[in-house]
Amino acid sequence: MSTNREIKQDYWSYVKRQFRKNKRALFSLYVVMFMLFIAVFADFLANEKPIVCTYQGKTYFPILKEYAVQLKLGKFPPELNNIIWTDTKFDFAIRPLIPYSPTSQDILNFGFVSPFGKQDVPSIRWRHWLGTEGIGRDILSALIHGTRIAFIIGLISMSIASVIGILLGSLAGFFGDKGIQISRASLLMGLLSAGLGLFYANAVHGLFTGIFVFILCLFIGFLISRILKKIPFLAPKTSLPLDIIVQRMIEVLVSIPRLFLIIAVVAISKPSIFMVMVVIGLTSWTEIARFIRAELLKIRSLEYIEASEALGFPKWRILLKHAIPNALSPVLITIAFGIAAAILTESFLSFIGLGIPPETLTWGKLLSLAQGGRSQLWVAIFPGFAIFLTVTLFNLIGEGLTDALDPRQKK
Amino acid sequence: MLKYIFKRILLFIPTLFIISLLTFFLSTNVPGDPVEQMLNSNSEMGSSAKAQAAEKAYIAKRKQLGLDLPTFYFTISNQATPKDLYAIPKKFHRENLTKLIDKYGNWNEINTYYNSLKELDVAIGNVESDSVNADAIITIKADIQQLFVESDDNAVQLALKDMQTQTKVAENLSVLSAQITKTENLYKEVVSKPTVSKKFIPAIHWYGFRNQYHQWITKFMKGDFGISYQDEKPVKTVIWEAIRWTVLLSIISIFLTYLIAIPLGIVSAANKGSMKDQTISTSLFILYSLPSFWVATLLIMFFGGGDFFNLFPSFGVPQSTENMSFFAKFTNYVWHLTLPIICYTYGGLAFISRQMRGAMVNSLSQDYVRTARAKGLDEEKVLWKHAIKNSLLPIITLFANVFPLAISGAVALELIFSIPGMGKTAYEALVARNYPVVYTIVMFSAILTLVGYLVADILYAVVDPRISYNKK
Repeated sequence: MSTNREIKQDYWSYVKRQFRKNKRALFSLYVVMFMLFIAVFADFLANEKPIVCTYQGKTYFPILKEYAVQLKLGKFPPELNNIIWTDTKFDFAIRPLIPYSPTSQDILNFGFVSPFGKQDVPSIRWRHWLGTEGIGRDILSALIHGTRIAFIIGLISMSIASVIGILLGSLAGFFGDKGIQISRASLLMGLLSAGLGLFYANAVHGLFTGIFVFILCLFIGFLISRILKKIPFLAPKTSLPLDIIVQRMIEVLVSIPRLFLIIAVVAISKPSIFMVMVVIGLTSWTEIARFIRAELLKIRSLEYIEASEALGFPKWRILLKHAIPNALSPVLITIAFGIAAAILTESFLSFIGLGIPPETLTWGKLLSLAQGGRSQLWVAIFPGFAIFLTVTLFNLIGEGLTDALDPRQKK
Repeated sequence: MLKYIFKRILLFIPTLFIISLLTFFLSTNVPGDPVEQMLNSNSEMGSSAKAQAAEKAYIAKRKQLGLDLPTFYFTISNQATPKDLYAIPKKFHRENLTKLIDKYGNWNEINTYYNSLKELDVAIGNVESDSVNADAIITIKADIQQLFVESDDNAVQLALKDMQTQTKVAENLSVLSAQITKTENLYKEVVSKPTVSKKFIPAIHWYGFRNQYHQWITKFMKGDFGISYQDEKPVKTVIWEAIRWTVLLSIISIFLTYLIAIPLGIVSAANKGSMKDQTISTSLFILYSLPSFWVATLLIMFFGGGDFFNLFPSFGVPQSTENMSFFAKFTNYVWHLTLPIICYTYGGLAFISRQMRGAMVNSLSQDYVRTARAKGLDEEKVLWKHAIKNSLLPIITLFANVFPLAISGAVALELIFSIPGMGKTAYEALVARNYPVVYTIVMFSAILTLVGYLVADILYAVVDPRISYNKK
């Protein structure tokens, strides 16, 4: 049966087709999507609160209510405030698949209860399928909620890294050391207003006010520089050595042992997931910047760029519309491997007890709880396997992308 | 080529300068006071003489460590902050004064209030403690300590009021009353006459060359790395003791990695696309993705003295005594280091063998290999004599890249197996705010990495004459 379906000829659909041919990578992508589903709906999959329940004649949706409370849109009904969710007999209740939160402690099954042995639970519905850890927290529930933390860390830290990496890498690669010419007045005012901007951003309180003040300072500096340009001494143009600056920044970051830098920053600040993401993001953009710089060095000398320059398009437009889209493919590969590395780094940090708040159970934290013999085997095996699986999946996707984007693989 | 090398080495200078600044400011901003930590002071509840002695010891130690100097050549701050804030000894006090300045901006008033508080601290130390006033004295002392680190208006007023009520408990406490009232009035002065606008005028204070950074960096360049805060040994000794283990483990594991990975890469390349190739690459890929701290935990659990096989010690390094025979020493090393070396080695296998496979596949498609085959040489000989020569060189150059990574990347495993190498020493120094050790380790690994990359780049050019750094 011949189809008259049109085969798309553009680059990305070609890449998609090539990627689909790699069965391993495609399968990994599906599994990652499934894990993403678990991460998003973790609260409905493992929670001590029921999804729906009737209590003293009224019907409640406790999990949804919890979201509303967290968003400050409502308050928890007072009659439900102090009940112990796992012990309360509701008239009617639909509980999640795993009726435990990662924080709920089962006092009857504490002290590393085995998933295979006898458990002190009312029915099979309440069984701890992967056992419990020292103070009776359910391991499967902790794993499900750990998925969310791992994915958030991986995705957000790599988004930060990509933005910085693509920006700096493309500036260095496309403009080089001589590509951007600015007048002495602009250079002077730029440095001055950035310095003053930092000073005033520091003097006012609050992150967003600070950013606003900083941008305001830059804007005023820009306005003044337009006037200063009229002075003959400040008018001549100098070139901005972007490439040298970016290359030095990369060299500095690469030379300090990365894990050590991350540990240093995390040890200084208060434990928070946000901090860990930012630090991992800020230290892992170098690879992306290097790739995109190399790619743009190649693209810069291609004829179509010359053609658009000859047509008189502004350089920024050429960079954004014509150069960067063609240089993005190697970045995708780095991002896939980078997510794996970020998840690994976060797991290790929580394994040694840094970065994540102590009450939050992550995969690494869970793994660190196992430090004994046979009786705690499952506490070591399951979270470790979760880390391993996620890292492998992202690495396989990275591999698949490498093959799909390699023109030598064309069949 | 020489010109290229010279240029690269020149570019090391700005890089290392930035790294030195970065480590310096990261470490000085770590919360906690290294002097306090070193003295491990228990002066808080002691008698007056004891407290004064502790104060003196604190100031002396601070001077000995060079921490009584300003941090850098200059500071950029505001008109409200005095130039000589650094001269106030205790770090916690400095931090609190900075908060007060940020809030009210009137340094003169804040300073008199702070001095009055210090006088009060001395005065309470001079009061004889007896059964009647013991509790009150303890409460007042706690209040004073709190005031030294408190900037919140309500909390300060509460503490001041609390002290005033405590003085009424016993007869001999009433002497403090006047001083407390004075402090209270001075605090009111601070609150009532704020000059917050001063905060918004930038000020640059210049301190000259007598500062902490200058002292450190000049000594560092002369090869004097200072003294470790933790055990007061010279940093040189501390690092020398640590680097031995890291270098030993790195060299053994890199050697093993090459030994295993190169034949695997060659076999993969020779059977490209076959079942064998697939199996090798898949299993190496899985090894590559295994988190080393998980593997280490499991290995310790199964083989290191747990309930399963008690084959190896779960942590530590071999302690060899003088009269051990060579063989006994050797087995002792093997016994202790087997588990760590397994963890160090397996992760790198995939990388090296993939590079080897790539280089080999490339060589096998070259004309000279086809010529060799055409001459009728058997496949074995083509593979092991002709193709291998050209693929091996680029792999060896990778060593220059791998070595610095191995040195600095060992934090995780050294912590788990508690091997006193560079990674563990660095981590512990960081946690204990042992700055001299932190600076030195970071600077050394930075230099090592930079030199490693340079050597790798030079080797590429030596191995492959097509690469030239002179143009462009």
